[in-house]
Amino acid sequence: MSNTDLEDELRGTLDRAAASVPQATGLSDRAATGVREARRRSWMISGAAAVAVAAVAVTGFALTGGNTPEQPPVAAGGAPQSTAPTTTAVQPLSAKSVAGTWRATQITGTKALKSARPDDPVLVFKADGTWSGSDGCNGLQGTFTIGQRGEFAATSGPQHMIGCENVPHTGVLQSAKRIAVTEDTLTFAAADGHELARYARAR
Amino acid sequence: MEFEEYVSARGQELVRLGFTVSGDYQRAEDLAQIALMQAFRSWRKVRKADDPHHYVRRILVNEYLSMTRRRSFTEAPTADVDPHSTVPDPATGIVDSDDLWHALQELSARERVVLVLRYYQDLDDRTIAELLGIKPSSVRATASRGLATLRKTRQTNRVDERLS
Repeated sequence: MSNTDLEDELRGTLDRAAASVPQATGLSDRAATGVREARRRSWMISGAAAVAVAAVAVTGFALTGGNTPEQPPVAAGGAPQSTAPTTTAVQPLSAKSVAGTWRATQITGTKALKSARPDDPVLVFKADGTWSGSDGCNGLQGTFTIGQRGEFAATSGPQHMIGCENVPHTGVLQSAKRIAVTEDTLTFAAADGHELARYARAR
Repeated sequence: MEFEEYVSARGQELVRLGFTVSGDYQRAEDLAQIALMQAFRSWRKVRKADDPHHYVRRILVNEYLSMTRRRSFTEAPTADVDPHSTVPDPATGIVDSDDLWHALQELSARERVVLVLRYYQDLDDRTIAELLGIKPSSVRATASRGLATLRKTRQTNRVDERLS
C-alpha cells in the first residue's frame, strides 16, 4: 500500500469516526451554565469587594474621626488617652485567603489519608475563584466562592472516576457551607456547623 | 462573537476532535468541556484572535496530551467500580469494525494527535507545530513514524487473519 493510499484511507476513517459521534446533548446548556455560574461569581466578588471597600472606609472614618476637634486629650507622656472602645479589625475572607495548595489531614468518615496513591491528593485554590487538584487517581477542578464571613460554596467540573482510595475532596467541597482559615489550617464545616474536614497548607 | 454563539456553532466540532484524538466518547465530551471552560476564562482575548476556534482547538489537544501524561490516565479501574454503571459509548460500535481505527489507537498520543490534525483537520505541518509548540520537523518526523506504525500494524493484522 502506498503512502497516498494509506493517507486517503486514514482521512476516510477519521471522517467516519467523527461523523459517528452523536450530537452532544446539552453541550451549549452546560457551557451556558458555566457562563452563568462564572458571571454570578464575578458579581459576588464585585459585591464582596464593594462591601470590603465600604467597611474599610467606615473603619477608616471611625479611626480618623478622633483627629478632628473632638480629639482626646494627650497625656503628659505623650500618648493619647482614647475614650472610645478599641476597634478590632476582622480580616474579611476571600478567595485570596485560601489561595495555595492544601493537603487533607482529617476528613470525617475517611481513613487512610496517608496511603500511597498514583497522584499527590492535594487541593489547590486559586485567587481567581477556581480550584483544582487530585483525589489521588483523578484530576479534579471546579469553582468556589467565599463570603467575607466564611460562607462557602463550590462547584465541580467534569471528572473521571477511576477507582482507588480516592480522597473525597469533591464531597467535602460540595457539602461544606462554611470555612475557617488560619495561616496553615483550613477547616470546612457543614451548614449545621459540624466540622467536615481539616486541611493543612502544603506549600 | 459571543461565547454562547461560539459554543452553539463549534461545540460539536470540538467533541468530534476530542473523539478522533482520544477514541473515547466520554473523554471527548470532557475534553470539549474543559477547553470551553478554559476559553471562557479568557474569552475577551480569545474573541479578538483571528480564529477563536484555533485557540480553543489548541487548548483541547494540549489538554489531551497533558491528560495522557498523568499516571492516572493509564490506570485500570479497580473492582470497586461497577461496570454496569458506566455509560455505553454510542460511537464506539459504529467504528468498531474499522481496523485502521483500531490501529490508530495503538499509536502514541502525540502521533495520533499529529495525524488527526493533519488528516482530519487538514492543517499544514507549520500550523500543527505552532499548535503543539514543537518544530515543523518534529511534526513531519512524528507523522512519518505514525504512518509507518499504522502500515506495519495493518500488515501484521492481515497476516494474522490469513493464518487464523
